[in-house]
Amino acid sequence: MTGTTSVLGQRFVRRDGPEKVTGEARYTADLAFTGLLHAKFVYAGRAHARIVAIDTTEAARMPGVHAVLTQADAPLVRYGMFVKDRTLFAHEVVRFEAEIVAAVAADTPERAAAAAAAVRVEYEDLPAVLDVDAALSPAAPVLHPDWLDYRTQDGVLRAPNDCGHMTSVKGDVDAGFAEAELQLTETYCSDMAHAVPIEPHAVVAQWQGEKVTIWTTSQVPFPARAGVAETLQIPQSNVRIVVPHLGGGFGGKCDFHFEAHVALLARATRRPVRLVFSRREEFLATDKVRHAARIELTTGVKRDGTITARRARLLLDSGAYCGDALFATEIGLMMVAGPYRVPNLYAEVHTVYTNRTPAGSVRAPGGPQTCWAVEQHTDELARLVGLDPLEFRRRNLVRAGDTGQTGQRFVSSSAQRCLDRAAELAGWPGTDLAEGEALGVAVGWWFSLSVPSGAYLKLNPDGTGTIITGAQENGSGSVMGLALLAAEELGMRPEAFSILYQDTDAGPFDIGSAGSQTTFNNGRAVMEAAREVREKLLALAAERLEIHQRDLELVDGSVRVKGAPTRSIPLAEIAAGAQLIGSGSGTPPPLPEHDLTGCGGRLGYSAFAAPSFFCHIARVRVDRETGVVSVPEVVAVHEFGRVLNPLGAQGQVEGGVIQSVGMALLEGSQYDGGHQLNPGLLGYKLVTAPDAPTVTVDFLDDAVDQGGPHGAKAVGEPPVVGTPAAIGNAIAAATGTRVRALPMNAERVWTALHRPSAGAVTAGGEA
Amino acid sequence: MRYPLNVTVNGLRASADVEPHRSLLSVLREEIGLTGPKEGCDDSECGACMVLLDGEPVNACSYLALQTDGRAVTTVEGVAPADGLHPIQRELLAAGGVQCGFCTPGIVMSAKALLDRNPDCDEDDVRHALAGNLCRCTGYQKIIAAVLRAARQPEHGPADRP
Repeated sequence: MTGTTSVLGQRFVRRDGPEKVTGEARYTADLAFTGLLHAKFVYAGRAHARIVAIDTTEAARMPGVHAVLTQADAPLVRYGMFVKDRTLFAHEVVRFEAEIVAAVAADTPERAAAAAAAVRVEYEDLPAVLDVDAALSPAAPVLHPDWLDYRTQDGVLRAPNDCGHMTSVKGDVDAGFAEAELQLTETYCSDMAHAVPIEPHAVVAQWQGEKVTIWTTSQVPFPARAGVAETLQIPQSNVRIVVPHLGGGFGGKCDFHFEAHVALLARATRRPVRLVFSRREEFLATDKVRHAARIELTTGVKRDGTITARRARLLLDSGAYCGDALFATEIGLMMVAGPYRVPNLYAEVHTVYTNRTPAGSVRAPGGPQTCWAVEQHTDELARLVGLDPLEFRRRNLVRAGDTGQTGQRFVSSSAQRCLDRAAELAGWPGTDLAEGEALGVAVGWWFSLSVPSGAYLKLNPDGTGTIITGAQENGSGSVMGLALLAAEELGMRPEAFSILYQDTDAGPFDIGSAGSQTTFNNGRAVMEAAREVREKLLALAAERLEIHQRDLELVDGSVRVKGAPTRSIPLAEIAAGAQLIGSGSGTPPPLPEHDLTGCGGRLGYSAFAAPSFFCHIARVRVDRETGVVSVPEVVAVHEFGRVLNPLGAQGQVEGGVIQSVGMALLEGSQYDGGHQLNPGLLGYKLVTAPDAPTVTVDFLDDAVDQGGPHGAKAVGEPPVVGTPAAIGNAIAAATGTRVRALPMNAERVWTALHRPSAGAVTAGGEA
Repeated sequence: MRYPLNVTVNGLRASADVEPHRSLLSVLREEIGLTGPKEGCDDSECGACMVLLDGEPVNACSYLALQTDGRAVTTVEGVAPADGLHPIQRELLAAGGVQCGFCTPGIVMSAKALLDRNPDCDEDDVRHALAGNLCRCTGYQKIIAAVLRAARQPEHGPADRP
């Protein structure tokens, strides 16, 4: 700390707030352009088919139509983060209902839509593969017959209809089961769910000469730039991505999406072109959904509750393409043992192609589904050995000194502490419960993504500062919070910093708003940039005050002599006559030491850097007659290392919990053949204000510094991981019946209560 | 075929020639130039387009523009007094009730409609007044707290009402 009072941990109002509450904040679809044209995509409308012919002549002749493009108008480039398995437009085959076959630009949205409807495509339908089990059958049609020719990231293990499989192996799983006195096998299945940012996707592209500027609703401007350059085969330096205010993302706006399609339309027409998604397109075509999953777990325990072994098999429905799914694959794999001592483990995960909307890294990819299965399984194990769920967990949770599933050594006992604190706040096992009410608990862990990042910082002649960063704000406030870290280094107020971001031509590279990484990595970069400015400031001030630098301090926007506050120079005075510029990146903390002996297909999440822990306890009320579950309260205790911005962190936890209450009870795509049946907010319901539970949030500190700024860890994703599991356990406690399908909607709860034989897949007993 | 529309928006007379199918939202955003109201679903489900029509909250996406002829519309741009913020706006900021901000204009309008009608509202009233506004970021907790705090502020008196 530099000044007399730290700004960290204080209440902080984000700088972009005022323009948002007055309606002045401009989002991508709000921007105005002279000569603007409107884009509309033509979608396949079928799950799997060969394209026999595309006829655009009628559409191209319609009034106001400036361009109709197909894959024939784009370079034939296959792209993809892990597996290069797709093209911008359908090439010969369509593999899901919202595959883009053509794109139209016209002078009004109505004319664009009319022309899109006039594009004639002749198809020959192919057999569709619609679930993961069917896809892995040897007799299944292969979705990508040329899969062996696709290029991949190093280390990706594949098979027909499996774009990435991995294993996690620890100890001797057969010996572990031999040691067990009881064992339990269960299967859990979760439906596809969506990110549902309230702002739909929007893109505007405009060329000037060889250079295209693209305004887009992207969480990841630099990967979006790389995607445009790769697919259009132009230099990255000719692509400038600008992200106006971003209306939420939750992972649905990660990865490279529609920027290149719109850029192609703009190049063909030499006019600015705008694409704005409807809510229906947002469900069908964003190709970035939370994986539907099938999770099979077998665990061996001793009668005293000690876990001796686990086998796990995860099947993730990747939809038609791989996208950035392999993040979810490896993280899901890392969640199967939970934060428990599982001395002997064999786990495998498959990322399975089907003819459904492609999946990707939605907030905490692979997390909530796996935690929901593992933590319900944990409660069933507790029941099997006759222990209270809390006591069973206490006997098995990892503590400092224990090793995780890949041998990572834990340095804190936060899992245990979160459990105890949550139990205290929730009044476990529940003293004032009404008829039909019960509590349910879930614990879990998450990681801090450690990657390179960069920032510049400058002081202005008026004594304010500007942070120039490549980090992207998704709405969470993490970029706004960078001002806290700069202010702390320079003895200034956070309000004295403006932040220039959202522009790939201005800020240094950053992977974007993904992996809850902004504070952890860009925070480090901002601090390093601020320290460079600080050194320059102190050197200049020492000269003027004729005193050694070590006798100076930065306090309240000035440099002053320690112990003699009247001898000071305002920062503005120094900044007016000097270039006070700094840059920073810093070294990302390394992954903890671990051991991958026997493991296969791993891609970088084989240990969790700066792991954080949490415990959620939900109180539910079940109406046995209707199956309707309400959730009056959720207690969420998180250990985030050190919380730098409590108001922001609370907002992340409250929002994450409510989002995952929706995942638990309401949110899931229903399919009929290859078609989503509920691609709208009437059929796919989110939690609303009247239904939202009260969320009680508490933070525990972890004194061990694991490389984040001031000991901070990732905050954005962990809050969505635990709540569905806690609700599932509470439903089981309230009803004596377990629901093994997510979402646990009224129909499924009612069926579990009244037709218990339907859908139950479980076997427990003597080992 | 276009028809003349004369409507008072945020206290100013506005006019445009619009086709009968045009929504109030598209006319506000594209003809009148007010992009505070957002389109999140075009189906009255998300509430991001909420405006006040003669003081009553309506989803502008699903209201035909020509139906507002001769009437008064208030959008989020018309809520703040010239010298600052409306109490709802101020409290949303202070409470941390704003994250991505895309739903915020609609939340402000639904909350204003409630407070104009019932400044003595309780938590239940606030939750129900916001039932038509989806927020995916905040979990509603801080928004509800902010609206309750705004309701208790003296300046939210009759003078502030339409």
